[in-house]
Amino acid sequence: MTLTLTLRSDPPARVDAAPLIPERLRGLAPSEIAALEVRCGGEMLAVGDLFDVSGTADDGLVLAGDLRRFDGIGAGMSGGAIEVRGDVGAWAGAEMSGGVLRIFGDAGARLGAARPGARVGMTGGEIVVTGGAGEEAGAGMRRGLVAVGGRTGAGSGLRMLAGTVIAVGGIGEEAGLGNKRGSLVSGRRVEPLPAYEFAARIHPPALGLQLRRVRELGLAVDDALLRGPWARWSGDRTQLTRGEILVFDGENGGR
Amino acid sequence: MTAFRLGDAEVADTFAEAFPMRYARLVITAATEAWALEAARSMTGFATSVIGCKCEAAIERALDPRDTPDGRPGVAVLLFAMDREGVGKRVLERVGQSVMTCPTTACFDGLPEAERTVPLGHSLRYFGDGFQASKVIAGERFWRIPVMEGEFLVCESVGVGRGVGGGNLVIGAGDEDAALAAAQAAVGAMRGEGIALPFPGGIVRSGSKVGSLTSKSMPASTNHQMAPTLRVQVEDTLVPDGVGAMFEIVIDGVSEDAVREAMRRGLHAAAAAGATHVTAANFGGKLGEFHFPLSELREAP
Repeated sequence: MTLTLTLRSDPPARVDAAPLIPERLRGLAPSEIAALEVRCGGEMLAVGDLFDVSGTADDGLVLAGDLRRFDGIGAGMSGGAIEVRGDVGAWAGAEMSGGVLRIFGDAGARLGAARPGARVGMTGGEIVVTGGAGEEAGAGMRRGLVAVGGRTGAGSGLRMLAGTVIAVGGIGEEAGLGNKRGSLVSGRRVEPLPAYEFAARIHPPALGLQLRRVRELGLAVDDALLRGPWARWSGDRTQLTRGEILVFDGENGGR
Repeated sequence: MTAFRLGDAEVADTFAEAFPMRYARLVITAATEAWALEAARSMTGFATSVIGCKCEAAIERALDPRDTPDGRPGVAVLLFAMDREGVGKRVLERVGQSVMTCPTTACFDGLPEAERTVPLGHSLRYFGDGFQASKVIAGERFWRIPVMEGEFLVCESVGVGRGVGGGNLVIGAGDEDAALAAAQAAVGAMRGEGIALPFPGGIVRSGSKVGSLTSKSMPASTNHQMAPTLRVQVEDTLVPDGVGAMFEIVIDGVSEDAVREAMRRGLHAAAAAGATHVTAANFGGKLGEFHFPLSELREAP
């Protein structure tokens, strides 16, 4: 049985939720988990004061409630699965290296990104957000997948090294600035930065697999996206010109 | 040799002798089933006998788009060789020359659970001349190799399993038309999951024996004992009275069971389709690890 943490009431300040990952909770009894402390503003609060704790901790963790004041959910996780039923704050999945983080709601800024001062963000694993995401999703990403059902904010894939950021509802402006080898995918027509140049209209086979995978993980992906075609823009030309922005160019692509 | 009857066919009380082999299963997908089949036929061409072709390969079955990793029409191909290294070399050569070259294809590992693997995309990526890129999707690494059409997508490695090679049936009838019809019926019944029939149309008409009567350097030569034209010429003929032509079906399978059940299906289909005699080839039982006595296949599938 999975461990479920259900939010009782809004915390008095922003909470650093990074300690709440399956690998740190595995094997703990609910009472032990309730006694763990997380930082809330300037003080430490017991998990049990914030959440109702039920189930037993294995490789899965469910967080339920309006978690917009919880930052760093799933940050640094290296395995297992977290399912969030509600909106989350910033830094969700930041510097994650493995496992699956699924958010049934909206995500805040810097989803799967690098921590301040760090060059490298996410290095593995999968993040799926059914709603939208804030700015700089996937910033500094080296490997892995960030997929968002809605739109991402400005600066998605900022200084990305590799990996994939998919925004079914469209990527925000100034996406892929400083991108080296990463893939940014926009399900809606967007005008990439001037550092990107149109290369070709293609049916990218790897993207087909990725879209199927995120559908499997709970994202609604229209069949039209699977059919393509996609416009491939290459960039960032101030870097290696080995990154890409794939923009859906099929039926109703301009919606 | 003693025999038993199965319908109108006399079945020799002998056994097929088979060997342990290693195999890979590749799933080739393409924009249409026709292109997937083109790639699969090319990849499994000239792969009839491990002695002459270094591997044995055949189309296993067509796959519905719902059963392929990328949701496109696909074909599963089985390739057998004597060891894992051999499987690796042949898969790499053949995917490189016959699948990557074929319009619209992608190539996936059909044995993802296998304990041992051989590199595929890991090596083939160098064709990308530095422009290749990789993606890890659901924990599995793939390579994107830029080609003139767009991109060829290929899995990093393929699993290698332990299979059985060299199961066989020899089907005879009064003339070549009747014998071929019976052999074709057997092939139709035998093909399926876990089975590769590597010869043209699944049938070999030049069954061989080990070595030769006239040369020390020949590894194999015609099975003179089963050549009907030599019945009078050779003293050790095995061609039964009334038989004018014989065809062999060689079966490679993913397990002993897969081979046995394919032989059972083939035996009964051949007997029902006009075969008058069915036997099997062996080497006296001393060479092969697996024996498939025909007498154990009496029960219908």
